[in-house]
Amino acid sequence: MNPIYVRRRRKDIIVRGLCIGAAAFGVTWLALILMTLLYNGLAGLNLEIFVADTPPPGSTEGGLRNAIVGSIIMTVIGVGIGAPLGLFAGTYLAEYGRNDRLTSVIRFINDILLSAPSIIIGLFIYGAVVVPMRGFSAIAGALALAVIVIPVVLRTTEDMLLLVPNALREAASALGLPRSLVIKRIAYRAARSGLITGVLLATARVAGETAPLLFTALSNQFFSLGLNKTMANLPVTINNFVQSPYAYWKQLAWSGALLITITVLALNIGARILGAERTAK
Amino acid sequence: MTDLSVSVSSNAHLASQQPLPEAPAKVTVRNLNFYYGEHHALKNINLTLGANRVTAFIGPSGCGKSTLLRIFNRMYDLYPGQRVTGQLMLDQTNILDPKLDLNLLRARVGMVFQKPTPFPMTIYENIAFGIRLYEKISKSEMDDRVEKALRGGALWNEVKDKLNASGLSLSGGQQQRLCIARTVAVRPEVILFDEPCSALDPISTAKVEELIQELSENYTIAIVTHNMQQAARVSDKTAFMYLGELIEFDDTSKIFTSPSDRRTQDYITGRFG
Amino acid sequence: MAVESNVIDAAGPYDRAKALSAFKLGDLTFYWITRLSAISVLLILGGIIISLIVGAFPAMKEYGISFLWTQRWAPSADPPVLGALGPMYGTLVTSFIAMLIAIPVGLGIAIFLTELCPQWLRRPIGMAVELLAGIPSIIYGMWGFFVLGPFLANTFQPFMIKIFDGVPVLGAIFAGPPSYLSLFNAALILAIMVLPFITSISVDVFKTVPPVLKEAAYGVGCTTWEVVRSVVIPYTRVGIIGGVMLALGRALGETMAVTFIIGNSFRISSSIFAPGTTISAAIASEFAESDGLHQSGLILLGLLLFVLTFFVLAAARLMLLRLEKKAGK
Repeated sequence: MNPIYVRRRRKDIIVRGLCIGAAAFGVTWLALILMTLLYNGLAGLNLEIFVADTPPPGSTEGGLRNAIVGSIIMTVIGVGIGAPLGLFAGTYLAEYGRNDRLTSVIRFINDILLSAPSIIIGLFIYGAVVVPMRGFSAIAGALALAVIVIPVVLRTTEDMLLLVPNALREAASALGLPRSLVIKRIAYRAARSGLITGVLLATARVAGETAPLLFTALSNQFFSLGLNKTMANLPVTINNFVQSPYAYWKQLAWSGALLITITVLALNIGARILGAERTAK
Repeated sequence: MTDLSVSVSSNAHLASQQPLPEAPAKVTVRNLNFYYGEHHALKNINLTLGANRVTAFIGPSGCGKSTLLRIFNRMYDLYPGQRVTGQLMLDQTNILDPKLDLNLLRARVGMVFQKPTPFPMTIYENIAFGIRLYEKISKSEMDDRVEKALRGGALWNEVKDKLNASGLSLSGGQQQRLCIARTVAVRPEVILFDEPCSALDPISTAKVEELIQELSENYTIAIVTHNMQQAARVSDKTAFMYLGELIEFDDTSKIFTSPSDRRTQDYITGRFG
Repeated sequence: MAVESNVIDAAGPYDRAKALSAFKLGDLTFYWITRLSAISVLLILGGIIISLIVGAFPAMKEYGISFLWTQRWAPSADPPVLGALGPMYGTLVTSFIAMLIAIPVGLGIAIFLTELCPQWLRRPIGMAVELLAGIPSIIYGMWGFFVLGPFLANTFQPFMIKIFDGVPVLGAIFAGPPSYLSLFNAALILAIMVLPFITSISVDVFKTVPPVLKEAAYGVGCTTWEVVRSVVIPYTRVGIIGGVMLALGRALGETMAVTFIIGNSFRISSSIFAPGTTISAAIASEFAESDGLHQSGLILLGLLLFVLTFFVLAAARLMLLRLEKKAGK
C-alpha cells in the first residue's frame, strides 16, 4: 500500500484512540466521584439525618435537619426572588426590546454575570446587605442566591421565548390582544416547559452553592427559622464538617453531600427531560 | 382567452357568472405607499373593499399583496423600520391614525394566517379566550358562543365531543377552521385571509373555500392567494398586483376572462409568476 | 355547513373600547416591570463594582500599588502587612495547569462525541459530561480532599518527583515532599470541573460547521482526523477559544473545589506539589473571621479577581458572538 496513506491512516487511528481515551477519562471521573459519594454517603444515611439537628463537637449523635430546612428556606426565597426578576428581564429582551441597543448591552452583561465567580456575589451581598444590617442573616444568603438565579433564568427565558414562532404572536395580536396579554397568555404558554426548565436549572445551580453563603448566611448549630439571623444550611455545614477533626462530622458531611448531589442531579435530569419533551413536539 | 385553466365550480358565488351590484365601500384605500426601510414595497395603491364581498389579491411572490393585507390591521406595527403614507379608511375610521387603538382595530379586522396557528390550549379555550377579552359572560352564555363560533367555522360537528382536547391535536385543515372560528368569535367586521389554504390538502382547501363564501354573507373578506383557481372560485372582485403596484382591479369574472392589462393576462395564463 | 346568520349581534365596537381600555394600565405596567427587571441586571453589575470598591478602599489607600507585588501576608501583624502576590500566583498557576489538562481532554471528548461516537452512545456520554458540570463545586472539593489528595500524594507525586530529581528546572517544579494539599491537586480538580464546559461549548460550535464542508473533505478521501484538523477546527477556532476562555473564567474564580486542597499557604514555592493559595480560597477561608484592614485587603483581592475574570469572560463572549454572527450569515 501507498506509504503516505499508511502514515495518514496510522495518525488517524492514534487520534481516534486519544479521543476515545479522553471520553473514557471524563466518564471515569464522574463514575469515581459518584461511587465514592454513594459509598460514603449511604453509610451514614438514616432517619436521624432528617430528624436530628447538627451535633456539638465530639458528639456522635445528631443529623442535619436544621441544615436541610435552612437550605430549603434559602433556596426557595432565593429562587422566589430571582426567578421572577430573571423571567421578566428575559421577557423584555425577547419580546419588547428585540431591536434595542439596551438589549444587547444587557445580554452581554448578563452572560458575564452568568459565569462570574460566586464568591464575588458573596462579597457584594456582604457589602450591600450584611454590613448595613449589622449582621449575617438568612435573608442575606437568600439574596446572594437570588443574584445567582437571575442570569440563569434570564438566559433560558430569552432563548425559549425566541423559539416561540412569530406567527403565534401575530395571530394573537390579530384578535386584538394587547401586547402584555399576547406575552402572558400565549408566548408564556407556548414556551412553558422551557421556562420551567430554566427555573429548575437555576434551582439546581444554587442548591449546592457554598461560596456565596460563607459570609452572608454563615451557618449555626441550631434549628432556627428567623430570617434576620444566621441560618444553618447544608453547603456551609459540609464545608465546616469536612475540615473538622471529628469522624462523625465527616460522616455527616458525606451524607449531606450525597443529599445535595442527588437533589441537584434530579433537578438537572428533570430539566433535561422537560426540555427534550419540548423539542420533541 | 379560450384556454383558461381556471374553471368556475358549481357552488361558486353567482358573482363569477354575473356581476353583483356594486356594494357600498367597507374599506377604502387612497394613494397608499409603504416602505420597509429604504425599500418602496407598495406604490400608490387605490381600491375599495365592498361590504360583504370577497376580494382576492393575486400576483407573483413579492408583489406586495401580503404586505397590503397586513396594513389593513396594522400588523406591521409589530416590527420596526416600516412606514406608510396615504389614506386607509374602515368606514369612518382612519386606520393609519397613529393614535388609533390598534387592539380595537384588530378586533374589528380579524386575520387568518398562512399556517394554522392554534393557541397552545384546548379547543374550547381557543375560542373562549378571545371572547373573554371583551365580554364578561356566564358559563352557559360562553358555551353558547363557543358553539356558535365553531359552527361558524364549520367545525362544530367534528369537535363537539372533544372540546377539551388540545387545539394542537387537530388536523391541519381543522386547525385552520378553528382559527377561522376563533376570528369569527370576536365578531369582526372584516376578515383578512393570508393564503389560508397554502398549507392544506385539497379536501381541507375545499372546505375552507366553501366556508369563506358563506362567511361573506356577514363579513367583508379580503383574501391573498397564490392559487388562481381559488381566487376565481371564491371571490367577487380580484386585484392583480405586480412589483408593488396594483395593475388591475375588477370583477373576478372580468379579470379571468378579459383582463385589460397585458401583464394580468400573462400572469393568469401562466406565462410568468 | 350552515353558518349561523346571527353571528353578528349586539356587541358593537363601543363595548370593546371600554373593555380594552381596562387593559391599558396593565399593559403599561407589564412593560415597565419587564423593562425595570432587565435594567436590574445592570444595577447588579454596578452594585458589585461599587460595593467592592468601597470595601477595598481602605486597603487601597494603605498599600497602594505595591499590594500587587508584596508576597508577605501577615494580617495579625501590627499594622497588618498584606500582599496579593501569593494568591495571584496560585490563581494563575492552578488555572494554567488546569487548562493545560482540560483543553486537550475536553476537545478530545468533543471530537469523540461529534465525529466518532456511535449514535446510541452519544446521548448517554453527552449527558454524563453535562451532569459532571452540574455537580456542585463543594462536592469536587470534598472528593479532592478525601480521595484525590491522598491518592496523588501516595502515587503520582512521588513518581514524578523521582523521575525529575536532579533535572534542571523540571526538578524544581516537581520537587518534594509529596503533599495532600498542593497547587497541583487543586489544579487537577479544577481541570475535572471545567472539562464539561469546554466539551459542551466545543460540541456546540462543532455543530455550526456546515455539513457540506465536512462532506467535501471526506469526499476527497480525508481521514476523520484530517477533516477535524483542516476543516472543523479552523472553521470553529474563534468559538473554541471563546469556550476555553469561558472555562478559564470559571477556573480563575472557582472557590470551593480549591479551598480544601490547596493548603492556604501564602508563600510562593517553585514546586507545584507545594501548598499555595488562590484569591478565592484566601477569601473563603479568612473572610468570615476578618475585620478592619484585613477584611478590606480581602475585598481588594476580590476586586482584582473580579476585574480579571470580567475581562476574560468579556473576551470569551465577544469571541462566541463573532462565531454566532458567522453562523447566522
